[in-house]
Amino acid sequence: MPILSFILKRVIQAGFVLIAVTLFVSFAIRLTGDPAVMMLRESANVTPEDLERIREGLGLNRPFLVQYGDFIAGLVTGDLGQSFFRGAIAPLVSGALGATLLLALTSLAVSLLISIPLGIYAATHRGSFGDQLVRVLSLAGLSFPNFWLGIMLVLIFSVTLRWLPPSGFTGPQSLIMPAVTIGVILTSTNLRIVRTTMLDVLSSQFIMVARAKGLSQTKVVYKHALRNSSIALVTYLGLQFGSLMGGLVVVELVFNWPGMGTLAIEAIAQRDYPILQTVISILAVLIVAVNLLVDLTYMLLDPRIRLE
Amino acid sequence: MTDLKSRLLTAALVATTALTAAPALAQGTLTVAQRQDPANWDPVDTFLVAWGSVASNIYDGLVRRDENLELQPGLAESWEVSEDGLKIRFELREGVQFHNGEPFDANAVKYTFDRLLGDVGAAGPQRSNYTTIESVEVVDDTTVDFHMAQPDPVILTKLAGYGAMIVPPQYIEEMGQEHFDMNPVGTGPFKFVSYDQGARIELEANEEYFDGAPALDGLVYRFIREDATRLAELQSGGVDLVSDVAFSAVPTIEAADNADIVAVSGPTIYSLALKTKDAVTEDVRVRRALNMAVDKQALIDAFLAGRGTPIASLQGELSFGHDPELEGYAFDPQQAMALLQEAGVAPGTEMTIDYRAGNSTFNEVAQALTGFFAAVGLNVGLNPIEDGVFLNEIVPQGRTNEMFQFSWGGWTFDFDNTAYLSYHEGEKWNPYGTSEEMNELLEEQRQSPDQEVREEILQQVANLAHEEAYHIPLYNEQTVYAVADRVEGFVPAPDKRLRLTEVSIAE
Repeated sequence: MPILSFILKRVIQAGFVLIAVTLFVSFAIRLTGDPAVMMLRESANVTPEDLERIREGLGLNRPFLVQYGDFIAGLVTGDLGQSFFRGAIAPLVSGALGATLLLALTSLAVSLLISIPLGIYAATHRGSFGDQLVRVLSLAGLSFPNFWLGIMLVLIFSVTLRWLPPSGFTGPQSLIMPAVTIGVILTSTNLRIVRTTMLDVLSSQFIMVARAKGLSQTKVVYKHALRNSSIALVTYLGLQFGSLMGGLVVVELVFNWPGMGTLAIEAIAQRDYPILQTVISILAVLIVAVNLLVDLTYMLLDPRIRLE
Repeated sequence: MTDLKSRLLTAALVATTALTAAPALAQGTLTVAQRQDPANWDPVDTFLVAWGSVASNIYDGLVRRDENLELQPGLAESWEVSEDGLKIRFELREGVQFHNGEPFDANAVKYTFDRLLGDVGAAGPQRSNYTTIESVEVVDDTTVDFHMAQPDPVILTKLAGYGAMIVPPQYIEEMGQEHFDMNPVGTGPFKFVSYDQGARIELEANEEYFDGAPALDGLVYRFIREDATRLAELQSGGVDLVSDVAFSAVPTIEAADNADIVAVSGPTIYSLALKTKDAVTEDVRVRRALNMAVDKQALIDAFLAGRGTPIASLQGELSFGHDPELEGYAFDPQQAMALLQEAGVAPGTEMTIDYRAGNSTFNEVAQALTGFFAAVGLNVGLNPIEDGVFLNEIVPQGRTNEMFQFSWGGWTFDFDNTAYLSYHEGEKWNPYGTSEEMNELLEEQRQSPDQEVREEILQQVANLAHEEAYHIPLYNEQTVYAVADRVEGFVPAPDKRLRLTEVSIAE
């Protein structure tokens, strides 16, 4: 079974990536500052014994590899343990992960719903006014930072019109502005990818053959061209996922969205190693998993990849 | 990025004038927006102002400090300090109950301090503030004695502090530490209802409060990290009161027709500490010249929307130890240049300011400072550093450049707190040392039970520090709140503890 062995190989690779990432993160964060010092930064009369007591309380005086081993054991068994400052980690991270994934997937959906039809339109009407307009809009979308768009949406829909809550996560209506903010930015690049690859595919020989066989324009575009051009889009979406997670951090801040970005920023400020390690490891797992998924999707989209 | 965002929003808000009346919320419930979620409600586990602004409504201490920083009875009705300062006897209030129905008595007081000074407290930041307490003895149900290891002139004030909030023994023993962290119970004017970490905490009025029930039915705090987002919530009616308002947003709120600014002198001062060893600033003439080069009032007007006061020592006017006679170095670039020349500092000499990168206001102030120094012929660069690195690696290790940010807000409003850790040998904010005379003065005032003597010595400390120009004291900031018009009776305390017992909401 070539597919199974392929998956197995990728899973083993992913395991190594995760070990490298977690080891590096756990090690590096311990070089950037001592949580005991951060904790006592506003206290008076601090003695070295006070600092030592706190380090002991937090388990920081144990050897690095012991601390790392505990952390990995916790990740594997699902017992994420306690953070330094904010109680149990599991409920914190699961809540934040849920919120972030919800936002990421909704944004992606928004983006695909806009970019696929518009991209196809632009490609099949190359050089028309509509095509020019789509290209200008996507360039404009690429050119302004996403937090700015978020702030403008807040000003219009929350402060002025009062239709939507400006921040937090209180219901479906809270999702609209953050998802549109990220969705629009993703759309700008996705649109260009769809348009370019469609143009490419539409000028290839098999399309000409399909047309020569007398297939309708709809069938040519949606059955043959779209499927072939999706490989590039899927690859791009996989790569985009990592930067999407990065971009989410800023948008989460603007909308006070209770996601992984907000959690990580708090944890960095307090040097809450356990939370930070967990958040970064889970994001790494996600990115690795998404890329694995992308590889699997190729096989569905292109039988030639399946045969290799 | 954050800074840019706030400025963008502020600019946009100025342009937007569509402000209408806030929609009605549940009657009598006030919603506060603050930057930070302290994430743990146990008094021994926190040092955050964000904790005090919420939990001052949940807990009481033996004593309480009012809006004028005067000590008032809290859970203790009266107290008596022995002549040698080594024993303090408290008479406790009778008939008080914790929110869970558990009675408050002398045992709860002993339990609170045994816990703070024992293993539980040892893993938190509060303990070191209270280590002058040797033990707490229960005399009878309503009387406790505090035995002091040494006299501590500031202990009564500190008993109004976070770590000394009285906690319920049975509740903690039965429910466990972790439960208490997330489900606080105290004796205060509001009871805990629910907590959604990172998002909000909800409280309801304690109708049985010993000092009378609060005017509000309920209190909600929302934790919103972004300055601009907190203001958008205020303007769209989602919150009634915003703390930590950025100075850059003050004109916007002042122009708004549904909210206003309420400000109070705060504990926080900003200064540049000067490197007194192995640097050009080793020479006191150079340090004085740097002081003369800065126009403090101009900084306040330009970057604090006028919401601050120039300072001559590392304390504001409300601080115990403030000397009204002490005048800071006057802004005098000519004199500064003359002094630099006398000290042999050539024009174009390079220096660097290390500062904490997170604070957008101080970022701007630091940039302006380089301009003032350029005007007296110095070539001063900026070196922004992330907080954790700055506090861990740079300052305590003595690895700073010629000038580095020192900002402090001694909660006690007693100059001892700031002065000791800035000037006493071996303290983290004094990596380069001061003088034997300074060490002795600081130790002497700590030993003295007589507050008048202490005040005099602390003023001497301030004068000596001024003479030696260890710092460039810049300004004492006001704490700025934005308050919706329908909020009535909000009087903020200088110590940033938001006790909202008198506040109400207009219909």
